[in-house]
Amino acid sequence: MDIVPIPADTYKLGFIGAGKMAESIARGAVRSGVIPASRIFTASHSNSSRGDAFQSFGVSLLSSNDDVVRESNVVIFSVKPQVGIVINHSHSLFLITAAFNCIFTPFSPPVAAVKDVVLKLNPLLTKNKLLVSVAAGVKLHDLQEWAGHNRFIRVMPNTPAAVGEAASVMSLGGAATEEDANLIAKLFGSIGKIWKADEKYFDAVTGLSGSGPAYIYLAIEALADGGVAAGLPRDLALKLASQTVLGAASMVTGTGKHPGQLKDDVTSPAGTTISGVHELEKGGFRGTLMNAVVAAAKRSRELA
Amino acid sequence: MDIVPIPADTYTLGFIGAGKMAESIARGAVRSGVIPASRIFTASHSNSSRADAFQSFGVSVLSSNDDVVRESNVVIFSVKPQVVKDVVLKLKPLLTKNKLLVSVAAGVKLHDLQEWAGHNRFIRVMPNTPAAVGEAASVMSLGGAATEEDANLIAKLFGSIGKIWKADEKYFDAVTGLSGSGPAYVYLAIEALADGGVAAGLPRDLALKLASQTVLGAASMVTGTGKHPGQLKDDVTSPAGTTISGVHELEKGGFRGTLMNAVTAAAKRSRELA
Repeated sequence: MDIVPIPADTYKLGFIGAGKMAESIARGAVRSGVIPASRIFTASHSNSSRGDAFQSFGVSLLSSNDDVVRESNVVIFSVKPQVGIVINHSHSLFLITAAFNCIFTPFSPPVAAVKDVVLKLNPLLTKNKLLVSVAAGVKLHDLQEWAGHNRFIRVMPNTPAAVGEAASVMSLGGAATEEDANLIAKLFGSIGKIWKADEKYFDAVTGLSGSGPAYIYLAIEALADGGVAAGLPRDLALKLASQTVLGAASMVTGTGKHPGQLKDDVTSPAGTTISGVHELEKGGFRGTLMNAVVAAAKRSRELA
Repeated sequence: MDIVPIPADTYTLGFIGAGKMAESIARGAVRSGVIPASRIFTASHSNSSRADAFQSFGVSVLSSNDDVVRESNVVIFSVKPQVVKDVVLKLKPLLTKNKLLVSVAAGVKLHDLQEWAGHNRFIRVMPNTPAAVGEAASVMSLGGAATEEDANLIAKLFGSIGKIWKADEKYFDAVTGLSGSGPAYVYLAIEALADGGVAAGLPRDLALKLASQTVLGAASMVTGTGKHPGQLKDDVTSPAGTTISGVHELEKGGFRGTLMNAVTAAAKRSRELA
């Protein structure tokens, strides 16, 4: 059975799940001219402000996910990976305490919201449609089983999609074509950078680009605190800290030089910068960051 | 003696010292339309490739620093800190109060600059190396006779290569420790994130690209949303998730304290070098 190519200049794009990630992708795509809002669809949400958010830049709001799928050549599943609360040992004490305090919290076994949604839409998900999932931790093997075919692309974006600077990785399902991949690359290229990789790397990707922004938020706060300790007013310290991190990262992405080389370029003999670097080395700064990435990747594997 | 305002739409800009920082500022200003290259001047350098670099985007290269000063309403001293004193003293007779003088020399104080120049219409700017990619973090301090309009002109110029804020000169050692030296700390962080990715199984190339884009994106979230970084961290640490495990490792390792140490040590070194 031949794969019908997605018409590159006229395809329609549907979002199943009208959340923040979907909005970021839709806004980015429209803003950069990848696809006009008139060709983008999503379904009205229990929370009407979500519908308003999409309509405010021209996306069409349909009554149901079924309608969205019918309208679309490319369907992006942007619902949460799961609903409900995961029970683990650390929660059992809370359960006991909650019972004594007469607080009833309905713990339910983990339910994959994306699984339910895909299964329910299965009859409408023909092979003519390119399916995409951005659900963290949900594997292509399962997605393809629920959908009934292999024309799926899995993407792991990250939260800076909201400001158009995502770091995303995609993995192609069994029947996704090169053209399909290029289409998705253009879409996600409008909200940041995207690379292709084997799905086996996705736990490590989660530990690095998925969780990484939080490590940098800590770093920016600490740089600001250091500035304040050195005498700066808080407001200036925080602005300098965030702009400094932005600028340094831009130097790496913009010059293509190795970060070690860039560090060498700016550490003059017995200068201020090398004293700062020395403190970082004394404190095992780099090892600690490695620990963070490795731990988060390990946690990602455990949650699978 | 009244200060003659610098004509905002027709002023000419001269660079004394045709190095990388001067080139970054000049390119940024031209690229963003702040000032056309035809109104920018510098002097030919012992190293002719520097002159080529400037001429390649339309800046005029004159025979001497004297000529540059004569041509310019605004003069930026972008020579190395060790030579700025000699350079300013030598040009002093030409440095009238009609000219706005600017220094980007690290660690060189307004008091000294103004003494060497013979007047107080000076602005000191501490930029940082990401000026090269248009994302500098700069701080300016006004000398005794620099006007608000002078400050606005400099803010526009340096705004074309990143962000700039005004601050009292007494903060400049701390600024050096943070935005001056800070990029190096981030280069170490990016390398370590990439190493962590490789330890977790990623190919090196992908790990490095993800690491640098992740840092860029996270910083963009702080600058773009205006939210406190602590709040942004709260927003992305779901219960028993991957991110909070990573954060826990950072806290165990005293990550934040170590970064504070770096900033305070560099600021201290800056004071020692003064």
